[in-house]
Amino acid sequence: MKNIIYTLLLFLPFCVNAQLDRSIVPSPGDAPQINIKDSKVFKTENGITVIISENHKIPKVSFSLLMGADPLLEKDKTGLSDMAGSLITSGTNTRTKDKLDSEIDYIGASISASAASLRLSCLKKHVDKGLSLMSDVLLNAKFPQSEFDRIKKQMESALLNTKSDPSSMASNASSKVNFPNHPYGEVMTEETLNNISLEDIKNYYTKTFIPDGSYLVVVGDVTEAETRNYVQNYFSSWNSPNKANQKETSSFISSKGNKVFFIKKPGAVQSVIEISFPIDIGVGSEDEIALKVLNKVFGGGGFGNRLMQNLREDKAYTYGCYSSLDIDEHGSMFSAGGNFRNEVTDSAITEILSEFAKIREAEITDKEINLTKSSMAGAFARSLERPSTISNFAARIIKYNLDKDYYKTYLKRLNNVSKADVLAMAKKYLTAENCNIIVVGNEEVIPTLEKFDNDGKVQLLDAFGNVVKNMKPSDISKEDLICKYISKITMTTSSKERAKKIKKAKSILTVSEMSSAQMPVKITMTTYQKAPYTEATKVEGQGMVFMRSYFDGNSGNVFNMQTGQKAMTADEIASKKKSKGYFPELYYDEMGVKYDLIGIENIDGNDCYVVKRVDGENQSFDYYDKNSCLKIKSLTIVKTEDKVNESTITYGDYKEVNGFLFPHSNTTSFGPTTFNSKVKEIIFNQKFDLTDFK
Amino acid sequence: MKNIFLISAILFFSAPLFSQNKIEYTEYDLPNGMHVILHEEHATPIVAISVLYHVGSKNENPERTGFAHFFEHLLFEGSENIDRGDYSNMVERNGGTLNANTSQDRTYYFELLPSNQLELGMWLESERLLHAKVDIKGIETQRSVVKEEKRQRVDNQPYGSFFQNIFSRAFSSHPYKWQPIGSMEHLDAAEEKDYVNFYKDFYVPSNATLSIAGDIDVEQTKKWVNKYFGSIPRGMAINLYRDYVNLDSAKFEQLYKVSKNDFDKNNFLNPKSRSAKKVLNTYLNTPIEINRTKKDETSISGVIKETIEDNIQLPALFMSYKLPNQTHPDSYALDLLNQVLSGGNSSRINKTIVEKKELAMFAFSFNYALEDAGLGIMAAIAANGVSLDTIQSEFDKQIKRVKEELISQEEFEKIRNQYENNFVSSNSTIAGISENLANNHVYFGSAEKINTELAEYMKITREDIQRVAKKYYTQDSRIILHYVPKAK
Repeated sequence: MKNIIYTLLLFLPFCVNAQLDRSIVPSPGDAPQINIKDSKVFKTENGITVIISENHKIPKVSFSLLMGADPLLEKDKTGLSDMAGSLITSGTNTRTKDKLDSEIDYIGASISASAASLRLSCLKKHVDKGLSLMSDVLLNAKFPQSEFDRIKKQMESALLNTKSDPSSMASNASSKVNFPNHPYGEVMTEETLNNISLEDIKNYYTKTFIPDGSYLVVVGDVTEAETRNYVQNYFSSWNSPNKANQKETSSFISSKGNKVFFIKKPGAVQSVIEISFPIDIGVGSEDEIALKVLNKVFGGGGFGNRLMQNLREDKAYTYGCYSSLDIDEHGSMFSAGGNFRNEVTDSAITEILSEFAKIREAEITDKEINLTKSSMAGAFARSLERPSTISNFAARIIKYNLDKDYYKTYLKRLNNVSKADVLAMAKKYLTAENCNIIVVGNEEVIPTLEKFDNDGKVQLLDAFGNVVKNMKPSDISKEDLICKYISKITMTTSSKERAKKIKKAKSILTVSEMSSAQMPVKITMTTYQKAPYTEATKVEGQGMVFMRSYFDGNSGNVFNMQTGQKAMTADEIASKKKSKGYFPELYYDEMGVKYDLIGIENIDGNDCYVVKRVDGENQSFDYYDKNSCLKIKSLTIVKTEDKVNESTITYGDYKEVNGFLFPHSNTTSFGPTTFNSKVKEIIFNQKFDLTDFK
Repeated sequence: MKNIFLISAILFFSAPLFSQNKIEYTEYDLPNGMHVILHEEHATPIVAISVLYHVGSKNENPERTGFAHFFEHLLFEGSENIDRGDYSNMVERNGGTLNANTSQDRTYYFELLPSNQLELGMWLESERLLHAKVDIKGIETQRSVVKEEKRQRVDNQPYGSFFQNIFSRAFSSHPYKWQPIGSMEHLDAAEEKDYVNFYKDFYVPSNATLSIAGDIDVEQTKKWVNKYFGSIPRGMAINLYRDYVNLDSAKFEQLYKVSKNDFDKNNFLNPKSRSAKKVLNTYLNTPIEINRTKKDETSISGVIKETIEDNIQLPALFMSYKLPNQTHPDSYALDLLNQVLSGGNSSRINKTIVEKKELAMFAFSFNYALEDAGLGIMAAIAANGVSLDTIQSEFDKQIKRVKEELISQEEFEKIRNQYENNFVSSNSTIAGISENLANNHVYFGSAEKINTELAEYMKITREDIQRVAKKYYTQDSRIILHYVPKAK
């Protein structure tokens, strides 16, 4: 009898609950308490800040050692730190790479390294063995040549693969255009990879992997007492006289006007679009939370945000359209985009830009701010499930000098963000007019993108974010081109005739008149060239000498108004020696100048042969008109310590003087300054007093 | 001799000492056939609510491939009580997150919510199961979204078509021959009856597993389970209810010979008239038969070797062998075999093909085990200038070596330790635990496998690994695909 009653009782709930109004949305229970446990922190004698986050849920422990150095410009060795990161686990003084790999795998652990970190993760029961391997790597990393060669080859292949991966191409372009002259704007290419030597890697490691400024973040099934023992046993002998270098660049450069950058991906059926710009905000800024709310409303994850609702749920242009806010101590940026089918590439850009404009115009709605704040509060609570979250909080508080309750008060501060705050953030940080619009895709979409660029031009970039010119292959050899050019300017047909003519031209005196929008004075430039090497130049106006230089073939000096008189450096002399005479092309063979005819490029409607010359760090590009073979432009890129300068000279109005063709109307641009010069006279073989020039 | 004995004794006694905390859970069936699994833990005040529907691309009509995945998208559109677009909003507004995924074998939906919103999560999932609603605008939008998903994941992705190319060659008749993303033409051709029938056939309690993990009170949770899911009609009655909601009175009456007015939406299981009660009882007592696919036991006929052109820079090699399904006893040994070949830096393939001989940028091998069959896939992206034939012969050498020599005791210990580590890591989040529990119940008929699986692996011997290599990795029955850059 008792059993029957039990059975009936079992069915009872179904009868009771059969009546249910499903249109009633359940209301929540009391909000759960969110507790953020304090991490334990201590500093070791050798300078490591140790942060411990205990969590005994699963029997695993991880040790992450993070270096304190700021990133450096790698310039022509871009990729150095990444390559060093890949080589750190290549073996130690006592363990070959094979031995190290098999010992790590034997305990089912993982040890990984990056440009500025080393990390171990393993089961608690193997922690001693794991740490002994990790500290062996840290203290005795050996960088064998064979591994260096292998990783280099791997990286070469990876670079090749980048050329077929649209998202890598977009991210390379984004780095380059948003962070010029900044470590974040450096992208490895085949060329920079080739410049990296094993010595560079070892130096990098010695300078970067040092205890000063480093953090050891310990997470998992471990206590403070155990950690203190581990640190003593495995990291106390880690020492270095070096100090962590402090940041050398963090200058914020805002974008000006909308610019379109395109990277071709043959056969693409979708365009990867990224609309981005750098923003001026640092970690822990008081704007940070409100800006995060703004990003989340705009397109930062989930389904409910504006970008997703407009471009996916309403227009169905994409599988996903998101924005991202990257706040970083060295350089912050905002970006929005996704993958879109070819036909809607321009419509998608229009929509994203209009969303940028819209969010700057009016406050977001109550519904939006409430949804976003709850969603962010939930995400914050969920993130606490990962034990590493707690230790990251502690690490950030120390590293960025945040208030010690920064994360404990996070939810309260989030709750205080108002619609007005969000609008203020949009006005302060977002833009629809100064965006870098990056598209990777099929070249058929290019014409639809011109309208977004302030100058109506689409800048083509290669897979690594470098500018590419529309280049066709050349139809003649480089020797033929130079020969044609020389025949043309010397007005000769045979080499014998030419030699005779050149021999006769012992010296050339040129006087030009220069004008510039930036300098409302008449300037005269006088240049005297005497075979074989003598060269003198003087720029003067209104009774003043602005600049003067003199070179006699072995030494020389330069004067300009800013720096005064200086002797030429060895580099300057070497480079002067290579550019002999009024027409340097005459002496390319003799001087052993290295040059390549890289193709035919269309410049303002005319096809031109492009010759590339490389002289150390400097590069020059000479453009010869395809029909006349006359030189119409030279572009020189000069790299100094931390800057890249471009100068351009254009040549026009070629006229005969004494049996040679000379350009009589030239322009010289250097940065924002442009000079026009008209040649007044060219005189051959005249005696000339050079005293004034020295 | 004595030493050997000692070593094996130590191994024997140390074997059961795995680093695993036992995962406790409660499970039961509702009278309507829905399976419920509850795991309680209070470390973080959040809950994971998931429903696994035992339907994947393999259950699709061959003329409607991609339908299961498309349907997953549609089931976020709304329901009888949730307006279009509100489904995800409700979750996000309440501090949660949600998503879903579709494989060959299943469709899986989940929410992660603050623990005080558990009831909301259950209500949402019950709405999805009982009376989801999709309008034309929703269908059109999601169709385009899915097409973009395919472009992004397959067409515009270097090597993105390799799964499709392998599966279509490995399976001649089994529905694994198409991929979950399916055919866009098929999606274009779908009609209203396709949607209605797919929902009626597969989205029913007896085909669903509800798995909840996290900061819950089991007794309270059971009450809510009853309230929202227990009250869903069993058998064909769920479809009677759906027709009651969706059809007009005339059509409903024509179909069921009983008036719509005899039913009450909020108390559907207690109709007003005797005739309605009779109809309801008939449908309650008519179980829904799910049309299950059969295990695929065919083999690959001979060597299928083909060259495929793609928008890529580096050529790549994809090879595949036919393996048994994931519940087959040999599946464990095959997993371990692949661990020997490809698990970690010291694995054989990485050491030889990537590091020593520098033939490939990446190279790997894995057991892609599904419910009805498995494939052993070996793949490599060639290093610049290396021919695919060279890589292939190196793969072959590695297979030959496992067949001819027993792996060393040390290597054997290594892969066991690696498995133990992976295993512990796989249950580190409540989302992971709820999914593992549901998978184990559906595929292996036992949620308990979450606690016993590691022991199953530890039973495998070195001889087993050698045996399965010989049995399944056969030279004369396999697929070899060469991916090469498209001719310009």
